[in-house]
Amino acid sequence: MRATPSSVRIDPKDNHLLAALSDASFEALSPHLERVPLPLGAVVYESGGAQRYVYFPTTSIVSLLYVLANGSSAEIAVTGNEGLVGISLFMGGETTPSRAVVQSAGHGYRLKADVLRKEFESGGVFQHLLLRYTQALITQMTQTAVCNRHHTVDQQLCRWLLLSLDRLPGDELVMTQELIANMLGVRREGVTEAAGKLQAEGLIRYSRGRIKVLDRQQLEARVCECYGVVKKEYDRLLPEIRPQ
Amino acid sequence: MRARSTPKQNHLLAALPAADLIRLAPQLEPVPLALGAVIYESGGEQAHVYFPTSGIVSLLYVMNDGAAAEIAVVGSEGMVGISLFMGGGTTPSRAVVQSVGKAYRLDAAQIKTEFARGGALQRLLLRYTQALITQMTQTAVCNRHHQLEQQLCRWLLLSLDRLASSELVMTQQLIANMLGVRREGVTEAAGRLQADGLISYRRGRINVLDREKLEERVCECYAVVRRESDRLLASHAALAA
Repeated sequence: MRATPSSVRIDPKDNHLLAALSDASFEALSPHLERVPLPLGAVVYESGGAQRYVYFPTTSIVSLLYVLANGSSAEIAVTGNEGLVGISLFMGGETTPSRAVVQSAGHGYRLKADVLRKEFESGGVFQHLLLRYTQALITQMTQTAVCNRHHTVDQQLCRWLLLSLDRLPGDELVMTQELIANMLGVRREGVTEAAGKLQAEGLIRYSRGRIKVLDRQQLEARVCECYGVVKKEYDRLLPEIRPQ
Repeated sequence: MRARSTPKQNHLLAALPAADLIRLAPQLEPVPLALGAVIYESGGEQAHVYFPTSGIVSLLYVMNDGAAAEIAVVGSEGMVGISLFMGGGTTPSRAVVQSVGKAYRLDAAQIKTEFARGGALQRLLLRYTQALITQMTQTAVCNRHHQLEQQLCRWLLLSLDRLASSELVMTQQLIANMLGVRREGVTEAAGRLQADGLISYRRGRINVLDREKLEERVCECYAVVRRESDRLLASHAALAA
């Protein structure tokens, strides 16, 4: 985990959902927003565990994944500065069978469940925004199911890199290949091979747990249609959220 | 002789407080769900939400090359058309009738108005959506990790839970399309289940003979979905009982 230099602006509005709130909603919530570090591998929610906070990442990525009884896992969706982690707190249920783990180290803001719920239940713009976000997240989840069925590890890795990049302020992921393999639910060798190909062709550079994207356009040319479907749906459902 | 269907045969409608159902009832329009009928096209405007009382609707994504993958199945436990209250009004996926039946439908404007009232109906629909999300995510997990035979068992059990009988009217080709796999794979897996006496398969009809055994053969994904639906919707079912 990197400490945030004091020169870096720290602002809840680095999270695009928080930035998209009406002034009234933001003012109601901001006294309750608590800045928290999200170190690599930290478990934000355990499967079936009580979720007491909702998290708004600003510089990190949280992966929602399901861990099978035999210990292997499969990623369901990624969330970064475009969204929030903890939809079951307003959708209902308060826990999920999936678990949420920090996949790229950084920071975020968290909000107590009851504060969120109160604002959600007042309806209006805030509720609409959260539901549209959830609908976009659903598209990401369903497209993960499609991609897992039909596409090669190479394509899935490209999808995963692009989805992650869209959710971070920079062009660098702090990430090990082992973690990527766990996320995608494939063998590490498969990821190493796929990442090696992308590196050999100058699309990414991988060194010591950092992946830097060098040629985003080429990555987009290589990825399966799943990425475009998800991206288009986020843009359509959340027009107020425009990544820089 | 089959009894006339009533809105309460859909579990979500049955779980609504009496006052809500009375208010909705005049607007609920009974419609048939014909096998293969497309309820929503990918990206198409969704004019109604559907509450099936029988039959099964499959949500699936069709790729550019025509191959498909099922995302979730919906029957009398749920509804089709969440994007009308969640937002967006369309989805990249398409909804197709996979097992013939009936439904009640409600106009898009009406469901939005009802949802915006808040209260029990809103909470119920959101909890249902959360249960549906679990089914979708578990499809992603299952597609990644499990054998075709386990997936077929999951698919049979999820479908059975949504039907009144133990018989599915279904071709192997359609199952293959839903699961997004080759037909030969389905034939082989179904053949094994038949040889072991779990199902009997004949002329487009699948009869489940030994549900218990099917539950032993299925991967954990089925139980995860089942448990989560029960947990999220049990309190509502109890209210309506």
